[in-house]
Amino acid sequence: MSGAGKGAVYNRPIAEMQIRSSGHAGRARSLFILICLCWPFASHATEWTGPAQEFARKIAAVTGPGTITFHLTNRSSLSAKDMAEVERELQAQLMVAGLRAAKGEPPGASLEVTLSENALSYVWVAEIRRTSGEPSVAMVSLPRREIAVPAQDLPPMTLRKIPLWTQETRILDVLVLEESASPTRMAVLEPEALKVYRSNNGQWQEEQRSPVSHSKPWPRDLRGRMWPRPDRGVDVYLPGVVCRTSSGTVTALACSDSGDPWPLSAQVALGAFFAPTRNFFTGALAPGIGRQTSVPKFFSAAPLLRTNATSWVIAATDGTVHLLDGSSDQALQVSWGSDVASVRSSCGSGWQILATQPGEGLGDSIRAYEVGDRDAAAVSSATDIDGPITALWTEPRGASAIVVFKDATTDSYEAFRVAVGCGQ
Amino acid sequence: MRRFGWLWVAASSLLLATSALGETRPQYGGTLHVAMQIAPSTLDPADNSLASAVAYRNVLRLVFDGLVSMDNQGRLQPALATSWRAEPGNRRWQFQLRQGVRFHDGSPLTAEAVAASLRSANPGWTVMAAPDSIVIQREVGDPDVAVQLALARNSIAKRVTGGGFVGTGAFRITNWLPGRSLTLAVNEDYWGGRAFLDGIEIEFGRSTRDQLIDSDLGRIQVAEVAPEQSRKLAEEKRRVVNSSPVELLALVFARDPQSDDDQKIRDILALCLDRPSIRSGVLGNVGDPTGAILPNWISGYAFVFSAERNLARAQEERGEVQRAPAMTLGYDADDAVTRVIAERIALNAREAGLTVQTAATPKADIRVKRIEAVSSNPRIALTSAALSLGVPAPNYAGTSINDVFVAESEVLRGKKIIPLFQVPVSYAVSSSVEGWKAGRDGSWHLADVWLGATP
Repeated sequence: MSGAGKGAVYNRPIAEMQIRSSGHAGRARSLFILICLCWPFASHATEWTGPAQEFARKIAAVTGPGTITFHLTNRSSLSAKDMAEVERELQAQLMVAGLRAAKGEPPGASLEVTLSENALSYVWVAEIRRTSGEPSVAMVSLPRREIAVPAQDLPPMTLRKIPLWTQETRILDVLVLEESASPTRMAVLEPEALKVYRSNNGQWQEEQRSPVSHSKPWPRDLRGRMWPRPDRGVDVYLPGVVCRTSSGTVTALACSDSGDPWPLSAQVALGAFFAPTRNFFTGALAPGIGRQTSVPKFFSAAPLLRTNATSWVIAATDGTVHLLDGSSDQALQVSWGSDVASVRSSCGSGWQILATQPGEGLGDSIRAYEVGDRDAAAVSSATDIDGPITALWTEPRGASAIVVFKDATTDSYEAFRVAVGCGQ
Repeated sequence: MRRFGWLWVAASSLLLATSALGETRPQYGGTLHVAMQIAPSTLDPADNSLASAVAYRNVLRLVFDGLVSMDNQGRLQPALATSWRAEPGNRRWQFQLRQGVRFHDGSPLTAEAVAASLRSANPGWTVMAAPDSIVIQREVGDPDVAVQLALARNSIAKRVTGGGFVGTGAFRITNWLPGRSLTLAVNEDYWGGRAFLDGIEIEFGRSTRDQLIDSDLGRIQVAEVAPEQSRKLAEEKRRVVNSSPVELLALVFARDPQSDDDQKIRDILALCLDRPSIRSGVLGNVGDPTGAILPNWISGYAFVFSAERNLARAQEERGEVQRAPAMTLGYDADDAVTRVIAERIALNAREAGLTVQTAATPKADIRVKRIEAVSSNPRIALTSAALSLGVPAPNYAGTSINDVFVAESEVLRGKKIIPLFQVPVSYAVSSSVEGWKAGRDGSWHLADVWLGATP
């Protein structure tokens, strides 16, 4: 392609591009000074090899073989490390295409290469100026890869996070079916399917998939929970729908419209009715907390098992948090989020409440609390999550909870297990 | 209590004694109040008079669904169509319809209704209803059929008795006063899940100034913000959300160049423009000076087209033109920004030796025009922009970004347009509005919005 900026001001290449792109990494290079050093590294194929090859061919088609100078600017979301890899790969491919660095002599062409991007793709653009003729432009595009989520450093705290699962589609709940040192088989509940995955030599593979049938559209902020039965089958609770697997298996999921109460705890027999077209529990309990069979509408509830009594913490839909002991209803003076879960530990009172809170940025945070009669004390630092938490359920054995959040950067859903550790 | 004594001491600084609400899960209920500058006289998606306006598209999307939608990464997502496929050559496309969907009047979404709606919006298309699907037949291969179906003008609407329209969207119309207001109630049976809000009230024809007053008084929760105001409001700690740049401010010539001198005069005008100074003086330092039609987030190559000022060269080229007649530069009388931009451009032109007179008239030699990107797909956006400019739709040699670049270069070489700025659309959103997710293209997703407590 040539003559992009032919004699007009409309599309004249920008001479001061590096200045214009302040904030982006921009580095001038005397081409190929290091190419001999780089060559051994560039000679093995990377994800950039193919595009770099095509790009170099297009550039060479304009310039022809000869000497060049080269300047690279990164205007895309590629990291400095990726940029260096692309640069190295491109230099190698340019050399293969017959372009070499100008060493003292006037170059045949100068290349202004920009690593750019649009909504869908990376766009690499070379603005080519030759000693004669009009400036030309060559470009290639390649699919953008999903934005890598940087590994989160765990701050010194008593909350232990164990990543379990990540996928693009919504996760409602994760149930660990088998584990030794780490989970080896898991069920992942999605809005339209229950999927079972097995780890084979560290690689997760889908083992089974059962569709979740429902006669009405799901409500927004859909919630769902898996509950293991003693016969090794699984019950699935969704708004207005209950699904059951055959005994001893998680296949053959049979779903039906149902208003059955959702179990709230494996340690305490208590169920609550879920509003079939909403995202909260109606407040009706079965059988009830002592004499209390009806409580305010709530998003989540968590039991606190104590030596001689069990009380319940309830996060109501109006933002208040209640402590119920079977006879009294105390409002806790806290500013928690909508989700609470209790976990058993070997420290403090033995049971802590995990509560969500709005985080500092786009995400929520999670923190452990000890609950007294009227107040709660934070016993861990707040762990920021990279997006809104969409589910927080205590795992059946009580020693940990499942947290699901939607990553605000990648839009993917991630599930992890969280447990409370004593001190750090 | 005594059992936890050590904890209370250790964590006393962390004791949360506030009763402020911190709920994080969406709440159902409430009515969202919104104001807009536009004053649409129809809610027919196929009507093209306002089709490119971001605000109008947002209104349509509340009531009507498309067969497909486009996400923030420019990827197509299923909507009323659950799947689609094109036959080799892209002449015949088949879209499988979602089952169980109903229009707001209770009638089922049928292939016939979908086909009728698409025929109305695209008279040149052959659209056939098949069992549970529709087939679109094009005379020549068209790789962008599915992308075009994500445009708001291709939303599926059914005309009902009385001349109105019903859709299948998350909200249904309960009261519509053309040009004045629109009241919407939630569609309880929405196929995508009931929206959190119970309703939305939209007031049309409100200036951005009036909208801000309404916002300050708590009458509305979402107000449009003029670009030149957005930075100031953000500095005042107001919650201002911006899209990616979706609106092109450009000089558009009424006619194609009539002579070599005419071409050169247009070059001179482009060279003398002091975009940075206009940006800081008129746009409040919002927007990107540009020499391209498509913003970089859509094309990825916009920076190749220069927007640099070169007054010396402009003056030099002016010396090569024997006769440069005075030109009129028109602006919209209701648009103060375009008026001030026009005045600044007239001053720039004078420095280069051109005579430009500004006037609030549509019959000017040149106009300061706003052109909105209708899609994040570069081919669709460029085609739409070209048609807005009154130039023929570009011919694309293929589907690569390189082909779009060549087509855009060709449109610019026609010298009918001098791009000035790419500006975002901005909204002042009340802190009680939760779950607000504006798309990069300025689109709203109000079905996901919920109202929290006002702090």
